[in-house]
Amino acid sequence: MKEKRRRERIDRPIKAVTDDIYCISSFREIVYLMLPRALPILLLLLAVFFVPLYWKKVLVITFIMAIMAISWDFLASCGLISLGQALFFAVGAYISGGLNHYLGLPIYVTVPMATLMGGAISAILILPALRLRGMYFSMVTLIIPLMLMRIIEATKIMGGTEGMSGLSSLPGLPFSIAVSVLALFAALFGLRRLLSSDNGMIFLALKDNDRAVEASGLNTLWLKVKAIYIGSALCAFCGAFMTHYYMSVGLSAFALDLSIFPIASCVLGGVGTLAGPLLGAVILGPLSEALRSLGTFRIVIYSALLVIFIAGLPEGIFPFLKRKYEQTERWV
Amino acid sequence: MLVYGFINSIILALIALGFSMTFGISRVANFAHGSLYVLGGLLTWFFLIKAGLPYVISVIAAVMIVGVLGAAMYRFLLVRLRGLELAEVISTFALGLIILELMRSMGIMGFQYRLPPFVPGSVSIMGTYVGIQRLIIVGAGLFLMGIIYLFVHHTRLGLAFRGVAQDDHTALTVGINPDRISMLSLMVGSMLVSLSAVLILPLGTISVDDGYDILLKSLAVCIIGGLESTFGVLAAAFILGYAEVLTSMYISSSLSMVVPLLCMLVILLIKPSGLFGKHKELEERI
Amino acid sequence: MRRRMSLSVAVCLFGFLALSPAVSFSAEQPIVIGVPSSLKMLESSEALKAIIMAAEEINAKGGVKLGGTNRPLKVASIDTRGGEPGVPISDALLAIEKLFLEQKPDAVVLGPFRSEVLLAAMDLYSKYKMVSINVAMTPKFIEKYNTDPEKYKYCFRMLNAKYVVGYLMKTMSKLNKDYGFNKVYIVVQDVLWATAIGNGMKGWFEKSGWQVAGMDAYPTGASDFSSSLLKAQKAGAQVLMPIFDMASSGTLALQWKDMRVPAVPVGFISPLMGSKSAETFGNDVVEGVVNIAFQAGNVPLAKYPPATDFFNAYKKRWGQELQAGHMPSEAYDSVFVMAGAMEKANSLDPEKLIKAIEEADYNGSIGRIRFKNHEIVFGEDPAETAILVVYQWKNGKRVPVFPDIVAEGPIDKPNWMK
Repeated sequence: MKEKRRRERIDRPIKAVTDDIYCISSFREIVYLMLPRALPILLLLLAVFFVPLYWKKVLVITFIMAIMAISWDFLASCGLISLGQALFFAVGAYISGGLNHYLGLPIYVTVPMATLMGGAISAILILPALRLRGMYFSMVTLIIPLMLMRIIEATKIMGGTEGMSGLSSLPGLPFSIAVSVLALFAALFGLRRLLSSDNGMIFLALKDNDRAVEASGLNTLWLKVKAIYIGSALCAFCGAFMTHYYMSVGLSAFALDLSIFPIASCVLGGVGTLAGPLLGAVILGPLSEALRSLGTFRIVIYSALLVIFIAGLPEGIFPFLKRKYEQTERWV
Repeated sequence: MLVYGFINSIILALIALGFSMTFGISRVANFAHGSLYVLGGLLTWFFLIKAGLPYVISVIAAVMIVGVLGAAMYRFLLVRLRGLELAEVISTFALGLIILELMRSMGIMGFQYRLPPFVPGSVSIMGTYVGIQRLIIVGAGLFLMGIIYLFVHHTRLGLAFRGVAQDDHTALTVGINPDRISMLSLMVGSMLVSLSAVLILPLGTISVDDGYDILLKSLAVCIIGGLESTFGVLAAAFILGYAEVLTSMYISSSLSMVVPLLCMLVILLIKPSGLFGKHKELEERI
Repeated sequence: MRRRMSLSVAVCLFGFLALSPAVSFSAEQPIVIGVPSSLKMLESSEALKAIIMAAEEINAKGGVKLGGTNRPLKVASIDTRGGEPGVPISDALLAIEKLFLEQKPDAVVLGPFRSEVLLAAMDLYSKYKMVSINVAMTPKFIEKYNTDPEKYKYCFRMLNAKYVVGYLMKTMSKLNKDYGFNKVYIVVQDVLWATAIGNGMKGWFEKSGWQVAGMDAYPTGASDFSSSLLKAQKAGAQVLMPIFDMASSGTLALQWKDMRVPAVPVGFISPLMGSKSAETFGNDVVEGVVNIAFQAGNVPLAKYPPATDFFNAYKKRWGQELQAGHMPSEAYDSVFVMAGAMEKANSLDPEKLIKAIEEADYNGSIGRIRFKNHEIVFGEDPAETAILVVYQWKNGKRVPVFPDIVAEGPIDKPNWMK
């Protein structure tokens, strides 16, 4: 019988060294460690300055979507796979829209209020479903936004099918870019730090074995509430930001696209890595923009790409790149 | 009103039957379900009106094509993703989007896409006039469900289906290939949904947006009835069908879309595996 | 499979190329007319074709005279997908901004028609100082315009639902006078413009001695109307007034036929609008149905030649008859209005253009077009104002029955009622 060969992966020597405390012993090692972290940040910042006006707007939206993707990834890392990220977005959008429209509060009040209240309201909305596991939880999150949408349509509250428009706008594009970039990095590095802390370990354990967490005498429900609060507050911020960015809010805040995009970028970039979703969003957002002149057909291409990636590279781009960067391969 | 509630329930059951069949056997939640429905209807329309084939042949051709498509979907894509629930859901949904948006971008819009009813006219039942097409739907729906019951319980292949549904490893040990069976289940599910499309679409016009609604309706029925039980599908369809008619009759028709969603939510919160589901309590909540 | 895919890809790409307007360039820099809308809908895709046709006609005559030179028109369209479900508003607005920033249109026609998108786009129009003639139906348009006429002066509109109500009222009075009908059942789509028409009519019915047996609003996508039809039947309504523009409302007509509800449908129901619907739904379903087209021209009028001219020109240019009941003819006319205003202002400066449009007076396929308070004025005489058309299906043909000047026959009582 012919012996089958397999690929063996070994850490690069420099990786082995830099894993240790000696990493600062040479400039090369410092660069090796810093490069993958600093390069994307620099590239993004450069992009912000050097693209044409229209693409700056695209970038702002991409950053916002990237925050939603990161938030989805965080929730998924806690074992809460949501199919309705749009819910959190819409809650934030409607809160800030409502505050601005009915009470006339200025932006620097409505956006923070929407972020904090949005997290709380979303957590309360989701609370009854939090004990559900796996797919059942996902189903509930899929349904709630659809239902709220139909309820608003039927009861005509908050502007009904016409939405609320003519809200105050953000002061200028540079401001929007700055805020969205800062929020993006804050979300990314904040959540990374959180997940690597002791509390983060417990969050991750919720996904791996929630019964073990329960058995350790920890209140899983309360932990999940906290996770949802953090995740949805991020999305609520996105919603509030977009509301003011486009000076209007309406039923389409519940749109399915807003639930799909985060999932798609996570799948593309790599679930559970936090940086992966950012990578995915930065690829998908501008890509779908570039295809825009194709009209509806771009959704076809976009979905096809998604299918190809899921089947061909199920782990995602980020883990793939990481592996290439840190390990060598050889046939044995 | 009772008559129409009954008819609506059967329509719902028909729509959801394929979804529940596929999920029950292969555990694949086929989110391309709605797209296959629209595709089935549209293919029939194409063969019937554009190519001028007889009704029966166009129906058979459309159902076959959709069935093959369903099987291909499993064979070439889903087989790589077995067990990754999220990946399955996303990939089938993306496939559904591809089908739907491809149709839209090819210019399927407007109101001329319509299948003629098998038999025009209407008859009176209990004082209400009902179109004959609706009666055909009821007849065909009940017939199909009967066939499926017999098929699953009394044929070799059907028993293999149930075997895989219960435990695919054990099925493997007794010589059933779960991959083949899952592929067949996807094929049967797709054929069922395109058949239901052919039956139901003569009641109105074909529009691409229907795809999303159909998916949602089948999800609602399957979640309420339990994701794998055929009897549950029927029961849930009746609950939903009557709930919708009663709401639009006595409360407000603008709420009629909220009702199924609300039912779904309540069921998920109380008994997540559905009224007739067989999941263990520990599996579904903590 | 792959072959079929690539084939369909090729077909699609070709379709896009064919659709992307190819208007001949001359030496002069063209004037760009922007068309941002959800173009994968029947009404808007036909409207886009009508706009391209209008631009071609103007160019054939030498283009727009501006400052001594003749400049051709160029149509730049973008599909916002705003009318499709599941598309967030930000995506639609981004598409509009892309059009504004990359194609730099000098004016906008058609515009988004999902109310939510148009209302948000009004702010964009002001931001980019983009003069626009829109077609959306939302009653909130004028409300928003009135909140700040200075800010929203860039927006004009070719439609107002209140005229639809007016036309329906007069049609109903006719029915009442001729046949003594006085009981009506209203079914509407649950979107603001439709419920507004429904409520407006309800108020009028109650004041003028009609009995409203009930009013139901169905959410977009509903596909079973039996409960309303049953109630209408039980109450003995003689008139059923549907206001729908969703695809599944075709079911309503079929179900109405199947259940043998003895009431005449009089209202707006888009699947029964086009010339093909008799063929699609069968003659017996559409027979006797009274439908209202929101502008002349979408339905040919023997007594108002410009409308028929447009209808026939469209058929000649695109090889297909118009099927939509609103948008194409008004979009067609709005290009001419815009071009005329540009010539009159002799400039592309928004301020001057706005003034010229405010003073516009143009005889088009929908009648005489004049704006008042940034909205077109409708009336009953095409020589004086723009008109809507109420028509009835008779023997598989659409016969205009109102306004009287263009009517080609009375409203008949359906055969089964005699």
